[in-house]
Amino acid sequence: MPRLEDVVIHMRLTSKIQLMAGSESYEKMLYLKPLVPFDNTVIQFFEALSMSLMKHPKGRDFPDIISFGFFSRKTNIKRLKKSYKNLKSNVVGRGVSFHIAPSNVPINFAYSFVVGLLSGNACVVRVSSKSFPQTDIVSNAIASLLEKPEFTELKRYISIVKYERNIEINNYFSSLCDVRIIWGGNNTISELRKSPLPPRSFDVTFSDRYSFCIIKAKEYLDIQNKKNIAIDFYNDTYLFDQNACSSPRLIYWVGSSNVVLKAKEVFWSFLHELLVEKNYKLQPMTAINKYTASCRAALDYNNVVISRLPDNLISRIDLDSLPADLPEHTCEGGSYFEYSDEMPDKFLGIVSRKFQTLTYIGFDRAELSSLLVGRGLLGLDRIVPCGKAAEFGLIWDGYDLIRHMSRVVSIE
Amino acid sequence: MTNEEKYNKAFIESFRVDQDRLKGLKYQDINAWDSIGHMLLMTALEDEFGIELDIDDITDFSNYEEGKKILSKYDVNLNI
Repeated sequence: MPRLEDVVIHMRLTSKIQLMAGSESYEKMLYLKPLVPFDNTVIQFFEALSMSLMKHPKGRDFPDIISFGFFSRKTNIKRLKKSYKNLKSNVVGRGVSFHIAPSNVPINFAYSFVVGLLSGNACVVRVSSKSFPQTDIVSNAIASLLEKPEFTELKRYISIVKYERNIEINNYFSSLCDVRIIWGGNNTISELRKSPLPPRSFDVTFSDRYSFCIIKAKEYLDIQNKKNIAIDFYNDTYLFDQNACSSPRLIYWVGSSNVVLKAKEVFWSFLHELLVEKNYKLQPMTAINKYTASCRAALDYNNVVISRLPDNLISRIDLDSLPADLPEHTCEGGSYFEYSDEMPDKFLGIVSRKFQTLTYIGFDRAELSSLLVGRGLLGLDRIVPCGKAAEFGLIWDGYDLIRHMSRVVSIE
Repeated sequence: MTNEEKYNKAFIESFRVDQDRLKGLKYQDINAWDSIGHMLLMTALEDEFGIELDIDDITDFSNYEEGKKILSKYDVNLNI
């Protein structure tokens, strides 16, 4: 029988937890049978969730909801399943996963949830305590699907929760979980690491990262539809106010100086036109931050050229070398360092553990692959075409999340 | 409903446009056919015809007429 003291503590805690969807029997999750990766009911559930979000009357107002619906639709989940066809039948989920979603990308919790369930785990997902309409729309859709008879069983595996920062609640969920998935960067990670995990449990952490974009100037100039490139670049950056880990902060131009000069002019003017067309709103505070970032770069680095531009939408800081501490010089809301070189490989010297995504324009995959693979780099986890920086995959930050969050039973 | 009607319905519902706007309609011709609208359209077509579109076909689906050719690969016959 539980001690009365524990029951009281438990009641006090749970009263501070707002259940957005799923089950409130958090402790019972400990005794649920882990599922196999890509369990059929789980796939059906995401199919239903995708349909409900794609047809949601407010869906069109939130591109991120539609993108998530598109990601979780049947065809895509089946395609993802196919990519794991080598996964043997002796693989099961680890048990309970506890997800701490970030506050910079509202829809992120939903992707983390997909990964948790697809890998076969029960999921406690803490959504950001900031209020976002996307969180409500997706949680409500999950909640109402879980009331359907075909998903009653699954409901016990899901708790989408919201609570204000609270170490006791963090301690509580941490004590229940087999895997803790921490999004939201270095501060959140240190905060959560104050809460101990059971001995066999572990963290999957998504820390602060640094991303950049490499562009071949001549090839860029040869591309017919430059507006599409501008849209792709916008989706990698401004769509999240350049707050995502995968948003490029450095533009590395490859080519002779006069071609690069021309390419820059065209590239930034197409982007500027798009920002005006989309009526991108820059917060006054962000404009100040961007100005400060430019000044800081001018103080810290030699031969910095800050471009004079008609407004504050784009900030460009030109460098004549690549300092190793560049990842410490970051700013949100459209602040870019630029570096040009005839050779494409000068960045190799500054790639550290912090480097995450490299997006590219005008390169082919094989070319970049031969440039990077086998160099023994400590960082760089993803190389994707411009426009796909924020596209979520089951391999993220160098983790194969399905394999990482499941357990292999060795049988000899 | 004929295949043609189903095909048109996917466009009309995804983009909230009138049927007479469909002929010759291209990606980004109208605000509603942006990357988000494209996802809505692809999902609607997959549901409507019970097919699973290949990523390359999703990328190549750049206008109303081209889409008909692409769907013919999935045994969906439309008047081309």
